Amino acid sequence: MADVVRVVAADDPLRALFSPAGELTAEARSRLGLDAAALRELYRNMVLIRRADQEALNLQRQGELGLWGQFLGQEAIHVGAMTALRATDWVFPSYREFGMAMVRGIDPAEMLTLFRGLSHGPWDPRRYHFAPLAIPVATQVPHAVGFAMGCRLKHGDEVVLSTFGDGATSEGDWHEAMNFAGVFKTPVVFLCQNNYWAISVPLSKQTAGSIADRALGYGFPGIRIDGNDVLGVYAAVAAAADRARQGDGPYLIEAVTYRMGAHTSSDDPTRYRPESELEAWNAKDPIARYRAWLEQQGIIDEGTVAAIADAAESAAQAMRARLTAMPTPPPGEAIFGRVYSNPPESFLREREEFESSLEGS
Amino acid sequence: MADQTFRLPDLGEGLTEAQLVAWRVEEGGRVDVNTPLCEVETAKAVVVIPSPWAGTIHKLHARPGASVAVGEPLVTITAAEATQAEATPGTLVGYGPGAPESGIRRKARTAPAVTESSGDVRAAPFVRQLAKDMGVDLTQLTGSGPGGRITRADVEAAAASPAAASSLAAASSPTTAAPSTDGERRISVVGIRKAIARQMVRSVSTIPQFTEFAVFDATNLMAAREEGKASGRSMTPLPYFIAAVVKAVRAYPLMNSSWDESRDEIIVKQPVNVGIAVNTSQGLLVPVLRGADQLELTAIAEKSAKLIEGARAGTLLPGEMSGGTITVTNVGASGPVETGTPIINPPECCVVAFGAIKPRPMVVQGQVVARSGAWISISVDHRIVDGALATEFLTALVSELESISA
Amino acid sequence: MEPVTMAKAINLSLRDALTRDENVLIFGEDVGALGGVFRITDGLQKAFGEERVFDTPLAESSIVGIAVGLALRGFKPVPEIQFDGFIYPAFEQIVSHVAKYRNRSGVPLPITIRVPFGGHIGAVEHHSESPEAYFAHTAGLKVVTPSTPADAYALLQAAIDDPDPVIFFEPKARYYLKEEIDTAARVPIGKARVAQEGSGVTVIAYGPTVSIALQAAKTAAAEKISLEVIDLRSLSPLDMDTVMASVRKTHRAVVVHEAPVFCGFGAEVAARISHDAFDLLEAPVARLGGLNAPYPPARYEKLYLPDVDRILQAADAALAYG
Repeated sequence: MADVVRVVAADDPLRALFSPAGELTAEARSRLGLDAAALRELYRNMVLIRRADQEALNLQRQGELGLWGQFLGQEAIHVGAMTALRATDWVFPSYREFGMAMVRGIDPAEMLTLFRGLSHGPWDPRRYHFAPLAIPVATQVPHAVGFAMGCRLKHGDEVVLSTFGDGATSEGDWHEAMNFAGVFKTPVVFLCQNNYWAISVPLSKQTAGSIADRALGYGFPGIRIDGNDVLGVYAAVAAAADRARQGDGPYLIEAVTYRMGAHTSSDDPTRYRPESELEAWNAKDPIARYRAWLEQQGIIDEGTVAAIADAAESAAQAMRARLTAMPTPPPGEAIFGRVYSNPPESFLREREEFESSLEGS
Repeated sequence: MADQTFRLPDLGEGLTEAQLVAWRVEEGGRVDVNTPLCEVETAKAVVVIPSPWAGTIHKLHARPGASVAVGEPLVTITAAEATQAEATPGTLVGYGPGAPESGIRRKARTAPAVTESSGDVRAAPFVRQLAKDMGVDLTQLTGSGPGGRITRADVEAAAASPAAASSLAAASSPTTAAPSTDGERRISVVGIRKAIARQMVRSVSTIPQFTEFAVFDATNLMAAREEGKASGRSMTPLPYFIAAVVKAVRAYPLMNSSWDESRDEIIVKQPVNVGIAVNTSQGLLVPVLRGADQLELTAIAEKSAKLIEGARAGTLLPGEMSGGTITVTNVGASGPVETGTPIINPPECCVVAFGAIKPRPMVVQGQVVARSGAWISISVDHRIVDGALATEFLTALVSELESISA
Repeated sequence: MEPVTMAKAINLSLRDALTRDENVLIFGEDVGALGGVFRITDGLQKAFGEERVFDTPLAESSIVGIAVGLALRGFKPVPEIQFDGFIYPAFEQIVSHVAKYRNRSGVPLPITIRVPFGGHIGAVEHHSESPEAYFAHTAGLKVVTPSTPADAYALLQAAIDDPDPVIFFEPKARYYLKEEIDTAARVPIGKARVAQEGSGVTVIAYGPTVSIALQAAKTAAAEKISLEVIDLRSLSPLDMDTVMASVRKTHRAVVVHEAPVFCGFGAEVAARISHDAFDLLEAPVARLGGLNAPYPPARYEKLYLPDVDRILQAADAALAYG
């Protein structure tokens, strides 16, 4: 059995930061290296993305978006993880990472054009180091590992954040990617947003074991943490990213949270989950909790809270105004424009035929 | 103060209707953007619809319990002020009856041109096109092919002899060669062979034709070819022949005509479509160089080469082998043939044959010298053209050929 | 019986199959408590229990893979793939095993894989695809798709009763189409139907394009153009007898589907007609389908998909040809 890699404590700098229950220890909390402005910024970002999320749902109900998948309740993961990364670190998201993209600086109105049926991918991944949303579950995880392998081959110091939900850990792609990451010792941080529900299927029916513990089987460490504590998520991702940057390989963080909203605007969670769960998780709301902590620390006061709420309100309204004023790109370009680098003649002809079949051409 | 009507959007990917559960506002009440208006239940979920605009509720269009189709009015709101609400586009993702999701449309189709079905004619699409080009009515033919299928040969034969068309099927014979006991071999005649036979019979049995001969001095033509070759434009003598024929025809348009038996009229053709007799593995084919009178020499060369190649490869379309007005045959191209008596390709008036160009003794300024030369022979429909006119045409043709300059 | 939607008709068909045969099992993502994202399996878990109607982990390859094992153990699995665009992880299991197991072992696999497919619902990427040609191309599979609630009920019965695997494509844009259904009627797999009689041009459609073809026929009739609409119902096996009977009458044919034309299922139909009716054709067989580009963002899907006007245009061209 000598050839079996065993993950030992020395490989795992995160373990010391968290209690066995996955709570950031008081000591670790005091050594985060974030000043008051940075701590307020975490709060501000969580409020901003929550308000944008609500506005997107409103827009869907008003017929302005075809679909919306809320991330209500998962703001601590979105903001904590993104704040822990460098701008040059790449993110490979699933489809509920709208808040992460906002923190990365992508225009939310532009992003919503995806849900408005105007674009399959509204931003340039190379500009923001933020890959396109991946809707088929877990398919983006091998991409993240491949990118991280490339970083190693090019001797870069970037780290890759691979994020996915609890449901994704059931897919073959996920397991295969985890195994590759271990074998090639890639600089990738796997971040599972365990929100307990894959549409209507609860975690208990998704897996009979622990998600975090699976990392051991692939030869690297994993940890289960409180995903509703923005500072805990920040600390975990920062430490795992540092470790990866030093060449110590992948790490799996299972951040436990809860999907407070529906799977998407087409879904009705009252059909499959009890109200009592929502009540319990409401009490652990990441924004309320963090605000209480900030107030207790004297970092934030009511005036600041109100100012941030106002800013979020105007940002949401500006997002709505920009989105609804956005022009519809010409159909020929939207349908054919990005398919090939060097479009074959036959393809160009089909585009021309299509364009000349449109009214007004 | 403008009224805006909010219509039920598709709330969940392809839904067509929803049931109104309850209103959360009353007529006359004030709302802001995102104030909850009502709850509706779709096939997928119960959802709250927030107001898209600020203003006063002017009218609620449905009662609780009622079914509302996607795209139907839900509520009319009098805008608080003439704000951006005016510019808000309508429902975008409505997939109910007739709700458009974008202003861009395909062009409407144009008025149809309807052709009735031509009945149960059995003929390959290729044969149908051939019949169309040759002016043959398929419904008047009985096919000689398997299962009564009309074949290409049937159409070609019908074109050659409309009267014979209906009896064609009866005359059809087995397609395999049957060996006989005394060493003879019988070859069944089908396809192109049969079409040639009919065309030739038609020619000699209906056209009183005579033939005239002349020799021309090809020195200039050969010099022009040499010069062309030197500048990279190799060319056979054929394009020169065709160009000369076209020029001569222009001077004597009657050579480019046909005899209309039924009306006792001569039809003088406008474009000069030159048929080029080509020997192929299947037999003689005559692809047609259309509008040769509009073409420069190089274009004649290019197009005729393509036609010949196509005829040999069997890739010509039916339309490329019909509609000739005068035919050229290069009988000297493949052997030591001086000349011959070509048979007119009906319904044309004239066929021109060129013999082999080779050095021969000629008298130039009283001296016998060796010059390149060749025979020309023309066969002409005597109903249309007399000997004198044929001679003038032949003279003009010789003169055109001899005055070729590089 | 009250008119029911196609969604309800499929639900009833599943319910009746579960009642009739205790070996029928239904499983997939969200088919249990939720009743499926389109509510197709609504109430089935409650009525038949969690052992016979159950949610699986989110893993399409294994959803189909376990169906093979369950079928070997004597069950009749009816797995659901949630959306057309999510079937690809299961492609290996379907093509390498579901289709070929019998040929390898002599053991038949009575599996029916239900897949909502097609566009026109304003969805995001991967939710509007038409992957039927991949499966019709695979010997060992039967591929069917209904266009009406009645056919949906009966074809699904036939699929579940079939001893061999069937891919059952449900045109999701027609889930809310309503009509009366007769649960006693039988529709065998491999039998097309004449959805509208006519004499001028044969329009061959299936699944979501049938109702568009019928609308086209209605519009054309007002212009004294007669379209005959054939609903294939079964792509594999393909009922060429019904198609040929129509083409012998009209001598002209148009095939229409939502999948892109290039290498689409229409190519098979067009090739077969061109071969079998070569002498009768008065116009080339036309193919209509999606553009040869990835399925576009929702705002453009109506421009991408074939519509009534494009069917009429193709019919016009066929009539004007000869």
